[in-house]
Amino acid sequence: MEPFDDIAIIGWSVSPMVRKTDKTEAQLLLEVISGAVDDAGITRHEVDFTCAGSCDYVAGQAFSFVQNIDAVGAWPPKSDSHVEMDGAWALYEAFLRLQLGDADIALAMGSGRSSTADPSIIYPMEMDPYYLAPLGADAASFAALQARALIDGGQVTERQMAEIAARTRRDAKNNPHAQVTGDFDVDQLLAEEYLRAPLRRHDLPPITDGAVAVVIATRAKALELCERPVWISGLSHCSELHYPGMRDLRTSASTTSAAKAAGIENGPVEVAELQSAFTHEEPLLVEALGLSPDVSVNPSGGPLAANPIMATGLVRVTEAARQIRDEGKHRTLAHSSSGPCLQQNLVCILEESA
Amino acid sequence: MPQFTESTIAFPYKRSLGPVIGAFMTALTEMRIIGIRSDERVIVPPLEWDPDTGVELAHDFVDVGPAGTVVGWCWVSAPTVQHPLDHPFAFGLIKLDGADTALVHAIDVAGIEAMTTGMRVVPRWKAARKGHITDIEAFVPGESPAVPAGDTGGATEPVTMMEYDASITYTTPVPTNVIRAEEATEEGRFLGLKCPECGRLYTGGRSFCPIDTLELSPSDEVDLPQVGTVTNYTIITPVQYAGQTETERFGRVHVLLDGVDVVLQYQALIDYPVDQIHIGIRVSAVWASAGEDDSDNAAGVANLIGWMPNGEPDNEDPELVDRIN
Repeated sequence: MEPFDDIAIIGWSVSPMVRKTDKTEAQLLLEVISGAVDDAGITRHEVDFTCAGSCDYVAGQAFSFVQNIDAVGAWPPKSDSHVEMDGAWALYEAFLRLQLGDADIALAMGSGRSSTADPSIIYPMEMDPYYLAPLGADAASFAALQARALIDGGQVTERQMAEIAARTRRDAKNNPHAQVTGDFDVDQLLAEEYLRAPLRRHDLPPITDGAVAVVIATRAKALELCERPVWISGLSHCSELHYPGMRDLRTSASTTSAAKAAGIENGPVEVAELQSAFTHEEPLLVEALGLSPDVSVNPSGGPLAANPIMATGLVRVTEAARQIRDEGKHRTLAHSSSGPCLQQNLVCILEESA
Repeated sequence: MPQFTESTIAFPYKRSLGPVIGAFMTALTEMRIIGIRSDERVIVPPLEWDPDTGVELAHDFVDVGPAGTVVGWCWVSAPTVQHPLDHPFAFGLIKLDGADTALVHAIDVAGIEAMTTGMRVVPRWKAARKGHITDIEAFVPGESPAVPAGDTGGATEPVTMMEYDASITYTTPVPTNVIRAEEATEEGRFLGLKCPECGRLYTGGRSFCPIDTLELSPSDEVDLPQVGTVTNYTIITPVQYAGQTETERFGRVHVLLDGVDVVLQYQALIDYPVDQIHIGIRVSAVWASAGEDDSDNAAGVANLIGWMPNGEPDNEDPELVDRIN
């Protein structure tokens, strides 16, 4: 879509990424919201609209997001919304909300404590309740089915997948928010046992607790408040069929159409932060996005280095924004995904100038 | 020292199936697998709408399989409690003969070496089928399905409902302030936390003031009075759902503590006729003595049994009725 007002990211904050935190989601959010408004040089009172992404099945509590509003400081009352999706979709809603013209500053956040329970038990609850959930079909199994489709189709090899794991873990050494980092030998990784063949442990993301908050503003406000706003030049998402057996798992058509709608063809991107939570998803997404080989993919380490479920996608946006504000890049891309075998995909294009 | 609490939540869902999924489930009880026609394609499992266009499909069902070809698979070496088999198995994408899409289901073979893309499989039916995706226990290699011993036959009526029972055990942190508040109630004290910024008082061990978003610490703790006034109430007629221990009508009241701006919500009112509960009753806290069963205590407060009228004359303040919090 073509926004009628330019919207920019003017601040953000990412929590430490850990295997198991002793903080509640509200406590995690309190810190990152404080960090994000500080980074933007504003107070909570200046925020007109807030939108959170989180998941009750992950939190283990119905309406868990209501408690999370405590972290917003919503007094006097604020216009607030919630998506039962990754915080990247909360950003999407906040982005749309600012188009209405009666609000200048919005806060998008994502929070997830993946350590609350076994993710392979939680995940099926979110699947088709008739045909898939009763089979206990979990995220790793779906991912493994897609990996097999790519391997059978000659699009990736297990060695290439291990190389992606080794590269992202190595890159993550420079990321203070990474959880899984270090130098790993590809042959040793390949010697490990399968967890869900053809996936080994290194093909899966870690279990991570964490949160992220992002402040966005309309053009005039962004220019007033921020020396180096990072402009959202395009933001779109598309979904395809839920049931994996009815899709061609060797492609990601919804990623391609979301990227097109976000304007990926308007110029080259230098960095892509992808929510490729499983190694094989990276080449699939790179192809679906049509990225050239010189694009740096997940220099932060990506979700394989830290995967705070419901925040992972929005963290990608902050990493892509950081590349522009702090690393001198001009045009970057962030991607988020939801659903089995990359069912739904969001693409956000960021630029240094409006 | 961080503390965590463990709790198990059960999700006993009952779902209506509608005309298409219901037909599929009914067919399963008859050891048949059906798809639905959508133009030239046969969609399995059947959907109510065309997956590409969203057009509602006519109920033109087609028998498919029972044999099919594995077009994709993965190996589950350590099944979860929710998986259909309790030993290592494969999840497969199975294109049943006559179908244009693939069914996701379990494949039961001795080991991963027995799995190949392109292999032929057939259902292993359960002997007793109820109209559920797990009526197919798993697919197994071969061309013709074995009829199970002790087959109980197809459903006599169309299947319209299905059950799905899941449960998840969660481990969640207990914030330090909550622990301290609970420890205080064990000593018969109400602990409040006073925001250093706005002065608002919070109970229940809040971690931070939601107005000023300031963290609250032990230095913000204050002891709260244990006498107050009923500002609101509800009379509950218990419905006998699982876990409900009450059988008679009972009251729950909001109590405004004396001298502070704190209302404790949904408190038990003890030894008072339900029909006479009203706004303005003066009440005092009643605590469980050591060893006493406190399982019915008021919400969120460890050792508080509830509130008992203390004999003082009613508080006649007309503004009490406007207090909801």
